[in-house]
Amino acid sequence: METEKRRPWRRWVVLVLMIMGFVVGEYYFVPVQPGITFSAEKLIEQPLVTLPVIGPFYLVNTIPPLIFTVLLVIVIAFYTNRSMLKSARSDLVPRGIGNLMEAFFELIYNMTEGATGMKLAPVIFPWFATIMFYALFANLLKLLPGFEAIGILRPVAGGHPIQPLGIFANLLPGQAPNGYTLVPFLRGVSIDLNFTVALALISVFMTQVVGVQTQGFGYFSKFINVRTMFKVPFFGAMDFLVGLLEIVSELSKIISFAFRLFGNMFAGLVLVAIISSLLGKISILPSMIMLFELFVGVIQAFIFGILTMIFMAQATQGHGHEEEHEEVHEI
Amino acid sequence: MEGNILDAARFIGAGLAMIGAAGAGVGIGLSVQGALGGMARNPDAYGNLLTNMILGIAFSEAIAIYCMVIAFLMLFKVV
Repeated sequence: METEKRRPWRRWVVLVLMIMGFVVGEYYFVPVQPGITFSAEKLIEQPLVTLPVIGPFYLVNTIPPLIFTVLLVIVIAFYTNRSMLKSARSDLVPRGIGNLMEAFFELIYNMTEGATGMKLAPVIFPWFATIMFYALFANLLKLLPGFEAIGILRPVAGGHPIQPLGIFANLLPGQAPNGYTLVPFLRGVSIDLNFTVALALISVFMTQVVGVQTQGFGYFSKFINVRTMFKVPFFGAMDFLVGLLEIVSELSKIISFAFRLFGNMFAGLVLVAIISSLLGKISILPSMIMLFELFVGVIQAFIFGILTMIFMAQATQGHGHEEEHEEVHEI
Repeated sequence: MEGNILDAARFIGAGLAMIGAAGAGVGIGLSVQGALGGMARNPDAYGNLLTNMILGIAFSEAIAIYCMVIAFLMLFKVV
């Protein structure tokens, strides 16, 4: 029997879309380099609510994608739960999204178990998985079309001229005396230091909590180390200073966590903006950068999670080697 | 010659901040060198080495990213 030859028609669709992108970018909607801002911009100038101690709360353009991210995670959790319950009732064979999530979480659970041991894995795994999953969706959601592209036009000095299209308008390249700039409705969640600092604070604070859970309050002797002060005065003082350095290293963890994620995502934003305004007519190149952003987003979410896991695993291991030294001395 | 001397200093500072990226480049090169050496000696360890190499590269890359954040802080007049 002769098998029918597969006709790969989808690649022609891609080619047609590429040519259309070229034509549109060349003649109709010439790409404009967007105004790159370091922090999220306010969509409404007035604060939404003013809290008594904390201060005003503005609707910035990272809030809508944050809500989308949370809703997406909740929806995935709901359907995973339903799928797992269904398979538990019928024949214990997970199917669909339940199967996918089971494979994914089993992979990272085994990784946690390998790093922390059988006993501590249930304590540390939820933090690792939650932070990783949340950061993963926050990073990936910014690759959707519409992010950084659709928004409100604000008049600004040295802005771009506009071309009105009904109630909408389109930015044109170049400068105009009374020009406009774009404030997008949607901006990637992780391109906001508030988000990354919040995640970093959660991660570092819960590291201390896990340390206290496993070692009791002896955990804090890592920071204020007076155990060996009186036995061996010189090295005891050294240990005390090293303990103070541990405090600094905990604080610097927050900064490095926050700026690693923020910096990588912000670099992606700048790279896509600059490449597409320089080479916008060759519309395949920005999409290659987007592909790279996909890779970077997954890797950075994974690194955020795995570093949390490694720091927690370190916090559960006490100052073992010093006690061994003492034993040797006593013997 | 006209213009603001603060702007000039801002651009020079952003350029100087990016010197730190050289260190990240050396770091990435060293980690790839080590991983490739390991893969050549022991091809069975390919997958494991590749994963850890990418992790290490991402850590080195973060240093360059810190430099870039500082450079952008200067360029966009945040501080």
